[in-house]
Amino acid sequence: MRGLEVELEQRAPIPLSARLACSPGELTALVGPSGSGKTTILRAIAGLYLPARGRVVIDGTVWLDTAARIAVPAHRRRVGMVFQSYALFPHMSALDNVAAAMGDRPRPERIARARELLRLVHLDGLEARKPAELSGGQQQRVAVARALAREPAVLLLDEPFSAVDRATRERLYREIAELRRILSMPVVLVTHDLEEAMLLADRLTVLHRGRTLQTGTPLEVTTRPASPEVARLVDLANLFEGRITGVEPSRALTRLDWRGRLLEVRGPAPAPVGAVVPWVVPDGFVILHRRDRPSRGERENPIPGRIEQMLALGQTARLTLRPDHAPELPIRFSVPLHVARRNGIEPGVTATVSLLAEGIHLMAPTSADNRSARGEGLQDGA
Amino acid sequence: MDWVALRLSLELAGLTVLLLLPIGVALGRFLAYREIRGKEILEALVALPLVLPPTVFGYYLLVAFGATSPLGRAWQALFDRPLVFSFEGLLLASLIFNLPFAVQPMQRAFEAIPTDLRAAAACCGMSSWRVLLWIELPLAWPGILTALVLSFAHTLGEFGVVLMVGGAIPGETETIAIAIYDRVQAFDDRAAARMATFLLLFSLATIAVTFFASRRVGRRLG
Amino acid sequence: MKAVSTVSRRVSLISAACPVVALLLRGVPIRAEEVPLVAAAADLRFALAEIAERFTRETGERVGLVFGSSGNIARQIRQGAPFALFLSADEAYVLDLARDGFTRDEGTLYAIGRLVLLVPNGSPLALDGTLEDLARAIRDGRLRRFAIADPAHAPYGKRADEVLRYKGIREAIRPFLVYGENVAQAAQFATSGNAEGGIVAYSLALSPQLQALGGHAPIPAEWHAPLRQRMVRLRGAGPVADRFYGYLQAEPARAIFRRYGFVLPGEPVTE
Repeated sequence: MRGLEVELEQRAPIPLSARLACSPGELTALVGPSGSGKTTILRAIAGLYLPARGRVVIDGTVWLDTAARIAVPAHRRRVGMVFQSYALFPHMSALDNVAAAMGDRPRPERIARARELLRLVHLDGLEARKPAELSGGQQQRVAVARALAREPAVLLLDEPFSAVDRATRERLYREIAELRRILSMPVVLVTHDLEEAMLLADRLTVLHRGRTLQTGTPLEVTTRPASPEVARLVDLANLFEGRITGVEPSRALTRLDWRGRLLEVRGPAPAPVGAVVPWVVPDGFVILHRRDRPSRGERENPIPGRIEQMLALGQTARLTLRPDHAPELPIRFSVPLHVARRNGIEPGVTATVSLLAEGIHLMAPTSADNRSARGEGLQDGA
Repeated sequence: MDWVALRLSLELAGLTVLLLLPIGVALGRFLAYREIRGKEILEALVALPLVLPPTVFGYYLLVAFGATSPLGRAWQALFDRPLVFSFEGLLLASLIFNLPFAVQPMQRAFEAIPTDLRAAAACCGMSSWRVLLWIELPLAWPGILTALVLSFAHTLGEFGVVLMVGGAIPGETETIAIAIYDRVQAFDDRAAARMATFLLLFSLATIAVTFFASRRVGRRLG
Repeated sequence: MKAVSTVSRRVSLISAACPVVALLLRGVPIRAEEVPLVAAAADLRFALAEIAERFTRETGERVGLVFGSSGNIARQIRQGAPFALFLSADEAYVLDLARDGFTRDEGTLYAIGRLVLLVPNGSPLALDGTLEDLARAIRDGRLRRFAIADPAHAPYGKRADEVLRYKGIREAIRPFLVYGENVAQAAQFATSGNAEGGIVAYSLALSPQLQALGGHAPIPAEWHAPLRQRMVRLRGAGPVADRFYGYLQAEPARAIFRRYGFVLPGEPVTE
């Protein structure tokens, strides 16, 4: 079995219940709020942290197996790690920093290879500089070169872009994407920035309080969250509750009662008829009806309401609609600004949206749902 | 000028510093890196010689390795001479009462090294020894040097403990500081003045040289 | 990587071993040549130095001299100090040590000591061995500081204390007293310019060093318990110590003692 497999279990001092897998050449993003244990998991993979129970296997080699009392020390794992603070050795030049990771090779070879790697990250000419003489972005590149110098079996990146300004970050994203074409090892990226994860990752793992809640492609996780918790963690706004009123297996439809409005959902029901389930409809599946043409009956799941708020951000209009049938459960969605203008959208006007049947995602009922049989929204605040 | 006493002082200070280098580095690192319960107690114990009057300290040292103590008796059995009133006893006392001067600056120096640096070094494949040699020592060097200089100067000047534990025996425990005291009581002011001036200039020179050196080192590390 | 770490480990071990080796080398005692340590009461500082020098000139053998208060030396002997010979200013210390088994025998009386009033040059005190002027100086404010040895562990200090008591001025003079750790330090305090005078050993006052710094007046011996100075060989004293012990009881040494104002046992007191 090639690639990285990680299982960690611990109650204290930092609670962990994490499962992670990453194939060679794949980039998995570990996403979660601060304090969710992302860095701890990374350090456990690197061997810098010993969890109470766990397994870390890379390409079939066991680095950690608490049950079998195996724990390879960090310096014996072939791991390349880029720290949030870069952790460059301040008393060494960029070249020596990179060469430091190749201690098992003779010096001339180390120097030559270090030069190569620095060239790879576009730092040729700056080899002799000490970290204090380099900009943040340059330091980050040295850190990456040093991690790669180790010829690691797995590359770990701990919020590597958090300390850098936006413009530099964009540039670094492109460089990482470029690098990935030649990297053949699994890469784990830890970040709290969902956008970054969406841009760079092949797979996304959502983490909260040490628990891995869902793993999947970025698209999957952000359109088909496994639970309301995940939905909240990936910033999905339209999180509601509804009661399943019926299923039509022949058309692969499920019917949902949302506060009296009947919705058609494409997909199987996650619970028996009559159950109350949480559901979510991502932004991209909320379609604004044209106001000049009357709505046609075939439109899916029409929801009439009143526009409460319109925020113009760049070329996008972020809209909040208060449905007529449930004004306390706002629907948030965005349209291009020119579309909003063309339709005369502004706060106060009436409008109708369609919730696309294939976009509505039903989730299994959580224990909390038993409390709210009235189908109230599950968002924090509104 | 009592050359025997001077040589004795330099030997005592020199050996103290030589032995405190590994001890201080080990203890300083331990206190800097480990978070254990009761760490404050350990730190307080290390700092004790700083606040304890030398005579109290000397008294307890005599209790600990005087002729009637288990340690003293063991030493007597092994080497046929007492531990107190010997150079070795003085050295032992010197190691203990210089502990805070050696450990504290070293501990601060190791604490100043960001933890991520050591983690990064491990990820670069460096074993603990190599991390110590190539990363920690080059970064902590000014603090270590300060610790050694302070210990050296402090040993040269130490009087109360040396007198109580050593007994001012010429050629064995009469350091230059004690010799000055003795010359004054012998009404030999010229000799006393000569030695005192020498000690003053020597101490100043040592400290100046090391501050100069550590600033150079500090600049090199950026 | 393995090769480097082994080397660095070896280097570290060697550098840790060096001081230990150096220490062991230094610690090997050269017993071939014995230089016995003679611990003597501070009042003998000048007299004994002269005697020892003579001894070395005549026999070619050396002794090491350590001076302090008799009480301090006795304490150090109990703690295992490596002395061969103890010349005390008070025989009580010697007899106690003998009783407790630290000595070869009970030793022998080698001298009777005397007290003097020491008045440094420029002091407002008069050279009056009856201490009348001293009593007056306390009353009329001429006296600010007066030095004696510490009565707790220095025999000369204890006798000085008795003298002051005898004269009835002990309480009056108490606020002005400074204590030397031994009688030599008391003499040093007295002549340092920070005191108006002191009560010290006659043998110290007779030295050229102190003669240059001030004058002295003998204090009546009946005013205090006698200073019976006893010396003894300690357990472990070797042949050189034995020879020195004998030398101290014979003529050139006795003449030197006499020159320093000591009364030798069996000889009449000459004022």
